[in-house]
Amino acid sequence: MSEQDVISLHNVTVTFDRQMVLDQVNFSLGIGEFCYVIGKTGAGKSSFLKLLYRDIKPDKGIVKVADYDVSTLPDKKVPYLRRRIGIVFQDFQLLPDRNVYDNVAFALRVTGQKKRFIKQRVLEVLGLVGLSHKRKAMPNDLSGGEQQRVVIARALANEPRLLLADEPTGNLDPEASSSIMELLQQINNRGMAVLMVTHDYDVVRKFPNRTVQIKEGSLNDIKVV
Amino acid sequence: MSLGYMLKEGFAGLKRARLAAFTSIFSLFVAVLLIGVLTRVGFNAYEVSQMLKQQVEVEVFLENVDEQTTNELQQRIGEEPIVAEMNYISRDSASKVFREEFGMGGEALADLNFLPASFRVLVSDEASVAQVDSLVQVINDYRGVDEVRFNLALLELLERRTEQLVLIGAAIGLFILFVAIILVFNTIRLTIYAKRDLIRAMKLVGATNGFIRRPFLLEGVVQGVIAGGLAAGLVYLLFDWIVPIYFTQIGVLSWPFGEWYYLIGGIVLLAIIMGWWGSRWAARKFIRETTVYTQ
Repeated sequence: MSEQDVISLHNVTVTFDRQMVLDQVNFSLGIGEFCYVIGKTGAGKSSFLKLLYRDIKPDKGIVKVADYDVSTLPDKKVPYLRRRIGIVFQDFQLLPDRNVYDNVAFALRVTGQKKRFIKQRVLEVLGLVGLSHKRKAMPNDLSGGEQQRVVIARALANEPRLLLADEPTGNLDPEASSSIMELLQQINNRGMAVLMVTHDYDVVRKFPNRTVQIKEGSLNDIKVV
Repeated sequence: MSLGYMLKEGFAGLKRARLAAFTSIFSLFVAVLLIGVLTRVGFNAYEVSQMLKQQVEVEVFLENVDEQTTNELQQRIGEEPIVAEMNYISRDSASKVFREEFGMGGEALADLNFLPASFRVLVSDEASVAQVDSLVQVINDYRGVDEVRFNLALLELLERRTEQLVLIGAAIGLFILFVAIILVFNTIRLTIYAKRDLIRAMKLVGATNGFIRRPFLLEGVVQGVIAGGLAAGLVYLLFDWIVPIYFTQIGVLSWPFGEWYYLIGGIVLLAIIMGWWGSRWAARKFIRETTVYTQ
């Protein structure tokens, strides 16, 4: 892994549910890079992300993410890896019994941050995603796009070096989807690496970035036209 | 981890999943209440059987022996380890007792002065029937002893009943404890399962398993305190107020180890341990098995 990479895979083989997901794959993502991961349903896109946030382990090879060697990382250390990466899912995963502020603050509380810092940082990230005015709203009172913004704010709270997004626009209408993509692009412009799984080619075409395709266990850079 | 956060989350957990928390508390309450009642009843039954056993006397009738032999016998019998207490009944005293027990009809017979002197021996309530039987054999062989009598059948019956009582009580107690543990653990597991989204979100943002677990442990302890407090209160009310009204003789029976607070404290402690342990077991397993990904 070069010092310029936030993700590096070297000869990595992964099987999940008895299916070959990656077969001797090499891949790297540099600091501040934006990359889409595309592929057919069941090709292993989500499993690839699971490997990066260590929900699954590789069978072979070396996986390094944000300076952690994921292939040998003991279970106890996994939470520390996850504090260095922001994770965004399609289904939001917000806590419905807490308001927007508490949903974001939660990410900092679990890492033992001080109250004053939490307040300052939550307001900062809510400002970044344009939701300062909705900090007291409950998740169910927000639109899908707004909920996804809260999730992104929560993912950014710990100032990660890498954002992993699994179909972040999958549950959104085209307008909300564009607005989320603009936000992700803006975050990337601030220097954070983004690895986004999607099957929406329109998004890939509209917001062009490096694109890799997972197909039959291999991961290759492709050009989307 | 901030203590404030743990306390806030622990207590908030009770409010957020009220039905699950109520079910956990109720199952803990029933479990420790049953164990508490069984302990008290079992202890009192054992106490009664020991009292009855202690009342079984060994009567040692003496031959017509002089005072020195009587004193020697008294000393030798008194030195036997299972002898708790002994009284000497002289020939005169025996006549007096006879007169008292048989009234007018006994007067004429008492004049014959045929009643022998004896020792009334009370054995320790810890002594087994076999030990008492062997004591009887030993005393029987002493020079100057005419006959030794004791109610072997009654003592054997008491010992058998006590053994059965202890065995049945222990079996019921263990069964209740086993069922209660299974019930409480599974209820707590359901409580934790109801919070799987919270656990998943915590894992997603990098909370350690210990951090996720602690509010659940606190919640388990709080549930234990509530359930134990209620059960202890009810047991106290039951045995100190309600039952003595209907069965006055129960009032005479004591709490285990002489004071009410040992059993009451034990009930609360047991509920807290079960709540804590149940939460720990369920939370550990569930947190370890929960993955971040849901789709």
